[in-house]
Amino acid sequence: MPATNLAHLRRVLAVRGLTPASVIPDASGGRTEEACVRPARLVEGDSLAWRPVGAAEPWPDPLAFLDGIQRSELIAYAGAAPIVVGEIAAAVRERAGRRLTTVLTERRVIAIARPSALAAAGDALDGLESVALPEDEPPHPVRDLFNAARALDRARGSLELLVGDRFRRQSEGWLVVDGSLTESPGWAADPRMLGISKSHATLPFEGAELERYLRLPYGHRSSVYAPETRSLAPVRAWALRLWPWEGKDLFHGLVRIEVAPVNGSTEMADLLARRLLAERAPLSTPDPRWDRLLYGIHSVEQYLRAQVRGTA
Amino acid sequence: MLESHPPVGRVVATELKPSTPHQFYFWTARESPIGIGAIVRVEEQGRVVFGVVTDGFAYSDLVTPMHAVIGADGDPVAAGIEPTTRAEIRLFSAAVLRQMPEEPLQPVPLGPVWLASDADVVLALRMDSYTTGDRPTGIPIGLYAAGGLESPVYLDCDFLLGPEAAHLNITGVSGLATKTSAVEFLLSSIFQTFPRHKGSVAALCFNVKGPDLCFLDQPAALNEEDRRLYAKLGLRPEPFSNVRYYAPFKGDGVNLNTLRTHDALAANTEPLVWGLHEVLDYAEVVLNRDDVDAKADAFIDFLGERVVGREYRDEMLRGKPFLVQSFADLEEFFRAIFEFMEVLGKGAEVWKTHHLATIRKVRNRLSNISTRSKGLVTDDGVAHDLPWGRFADRSVHVVDVAGLDPLAQDLVFARIVSKLREHLERRDLGVDHVVVFVDELNKYAPADGADTYVRKMLLDLSERGRYLGLVLFSAQQFRSQVQRRVVGNAGTGIYGRMDMDELATPGYATISPATKIKLATLPKGELMVRHPHFTQPIFVKFPRPAVLNSREGIERFPPATDLPFAEAVARQMRGLDRRVATDAVCALLEGRREDDVRRALSATRRERPADAYAFFAACLGRRVNGEVVVPRRGIPAVRRADDSYGR
Repeated sequence: MPATNLAHLRRVLAVRGLTPASVIPDASGGRTEEACVRPARLVEGDSLAWRPVGAAEPWPDPLAFLDGIQRSELIAYAGAAPIVVGEIAAAVRERAGRRLTTVLTERRVIAIARPSALAAAGDALDGLESVALPEDEPPHPVRDLFNAARALDRARGSLELLVGDRFRRQSEGWLVVDGSLTESPGWAADPRMLGISKSHATLPFEGAELERYLRLPYGHRSSVYAPETRSLAPVRAWALRLWPWEGKDLFHGLVRIEVAPVNGSTEMADLLARRLLAERAPLSTPDPRWDRLLYGIHSVEQYLRAQVRGTA
Repeated sequence: MLESHPPVGRVVATELKPSTPHQFYFWTARESPIGIGAIVRVEEQGRVVFGVVTDGFAYSDLVTPMHAVIGADGDPVAAGIEPTTRAEIRLFSAAVLRQMPEEPLQPVPLGPVWLASDADVVLALRMDSYTTGDRPTGIPIGLYAAGGLESPVYLDCDFLLGPEAAHLNITGVSGLATKTSAVEFLLSSIFQTFPRHKGSVAALCFNVKGPDLCFLDQPAALNEEDRRLYAKLGLRPEPFSNVRYYAPFKGDGVNLNTLRTHDALAANTEPLVWGLHEVLDYAEVVLNRDDVDAKADAFIDFLGERVVGREYRDEMLRGKPFLVQSFADLEEFFRAIFEFMEVLGKGAEVWKTHHLATIRKVRNRLSNISTRSKGLVTDDGVAHDLPWGRFADRSVHVVDVAGLDPLAQDLVFARIVSKLREHLERRDLGVDHVVVFVDELNKYAPADGADTYVRKMLLDLSERGRYLGLVLFSAQQFRSQVQRRVVGNAGTGIYGRMDMDELATPGYATISPATKIKLATLPKGELMVRHPHFTQPIFVKFPRPAVLNSREGIERFPPATDLPFAEAVARQMRGLDRRVATDAVCALLEGRREDDVRRALSATRRERPADAYAFFAACLGRRVNGEVVVPRRGIPAVRRADDSYGR
């Protein structure tokens, strides 16, 4: 491949009306196998618009953040069937007086494998929860490992739901969740929950509207829309640009906000967007997703990583 | 050793900051009572480690300051109102004080950390070995205070006054109640708690500046907090009960050269007067070392062994024998030699193997002593000295040399310390241990400069004094400017507030930066203590001394103004006998020669008769009429000018 001046090439493409890009921000693409467009329904205005949200506004106390983590390790094969041990954890950290403290935390260690592989392990896995992988096809190490990762994802999601529900039983405060609210009908209808997604594998528009959606300026939000969802938990959503993207990438600083339909009004969307803008600082560096990762969520992750690492 | 209080921290170790047998790191909550100098306890799996906090660190999860700038859009105000404060760590480093069990010596375990309790402080500082049992030897030095706890800290008198180790050195800037206050408090503590089974103890203090030590027998007005500290230490807040002051006279020979001249303080303030006999043995101290060559030394020895204090007969000089007992007698002796040599005429340069120039030089130097030390050294030979052989247990003797010429100060130091040594060697001083306090040590034992007699004497005292019970308590502003061996031999070190420049010198290299900062900002009444039993320096606070400080003392007992000769004598007489009337003394002295009066006064002071006035009058004898003084012939110059000294 001949040496090419990429910087020059970017400038030339920009002159021709294209958007220069460098690298897709970490985790903004989500899982590539899930990348798709699911057209959404606009609920604010007739066409997708950019709305300036105004100056950042502090979120009143208390404000809680929920996140979960997972780690896994391949520990054995039973024949060709892999056995994976995974650890999942979820926690809520609540902010009061500018200081975050952990109010809820939950951890699990689970063994994931085909039932036959789990049986072969005998009592070696005693004390661990087990998740059985489907046995409708013959063992294939790569496919089984992929399935194990999906199972661990689901287990972590379930643990987050458990912790979120437990928090709601003990507090009426706002809870910011890392990810989508559509995983739970309860969350999707909760008037004091907010989901914030960093990944954009599933996009709500296509064509010119998608371009408009992705070129959202800093400090603006998109019109509120109702995303198409596979579950029965309708929510309202909008995009919010937390940091200027120009010169970086279309996804830089772009997050998708989900709230219960009751919070889908223009005024409420503006208010929540202003509050989220205030949460840009402090930066969650050195995490590579710092442009979309709120410090509160980052703090939960740090806490959980320290917990899980401490027992590794 | 279960603890009812929750731990305040937890030991952490990383590859870059590992736990070692001598140091460890621990983190605490952001709000914790831990500070520099705090003593902590780590307990894990049967091993207990005590440590003292030497440094502290705090940092957040911020990777680079640039991220803070970006997060606040470059606005420092916005940075202050970020909705969430960053995660922050309070990390402390601690130096190990003691491990239990002591063997095998291992790295500090990664266990919980507690703030030390009273019992922990005793163990951590190894005070259990000398504050308990049948024959405890602990001397309270102050209170270790941290986290609301106050634990008494004791020094081991075996390591403070000997024989195991001895001596104490105090460093600190002037004017912040460090050096003098600390010594006053510690002496009081020693006097109150020095165990009887260790024998008797007295103190001899040189007051080298102003009224520093002039009111040790006067009580201070202490506040409640001071009294509480005394009670916590088990001490009585009271001044010294047996103090005697010694000060030389001023040039007039009757007014004392001290600031302690108030009438109310006269009872235990005495003159310090030495004659030729007391001085000649220490001629080397006051003579310029370059002057005292072998020839001069030989002649001084001749004087000391053959002439002074005994009858010396030389028919060639004069018919009747010489009895040299004073500088005046010595001057007469020299005059006789010079007159004899003059009679011999040209070519007569040697008298009894001593060259005339050597004799003349020794005569000049010795007469210079009585000139420069006027008031301390008397011409008439009547001395008034310290009570050698009669030192009482728990007595303090203060020698006020503040107003003396440096040469005379050296003489006082040399002679008194030498006499203490002599008596302690013979075990006939009256006490078993003597604490000698010398302030401004950098002046008397400087790191640089000539190797003076006083410096050699202080070095000898610091290296060998403990075997005799002769203990040096010394103080100075800058330890780095003192002879290293003198301070190095001090088993116990006390540091008050220090100057940062001083702390930057190599002698403080082992002290952590945080401890240096603490030392540089130490409040009044707090000290850092090094002691052989403590493996690390410890911070303590101590109450105000129970004696009047110099400023209050001078206000309450302003020094008396110098009086005319007769009134000054009357004041001295009243010090001996309160019934003596000033008018009577003045009338008695009318027309008397001052030398005669001084001699009579000295005799009265020495005898301390029941009726001082009658004794004094008897010593003066009957009044004699004035006589016409015939001018004496001057001393002729040496005729030849081949003086080997080029004069």
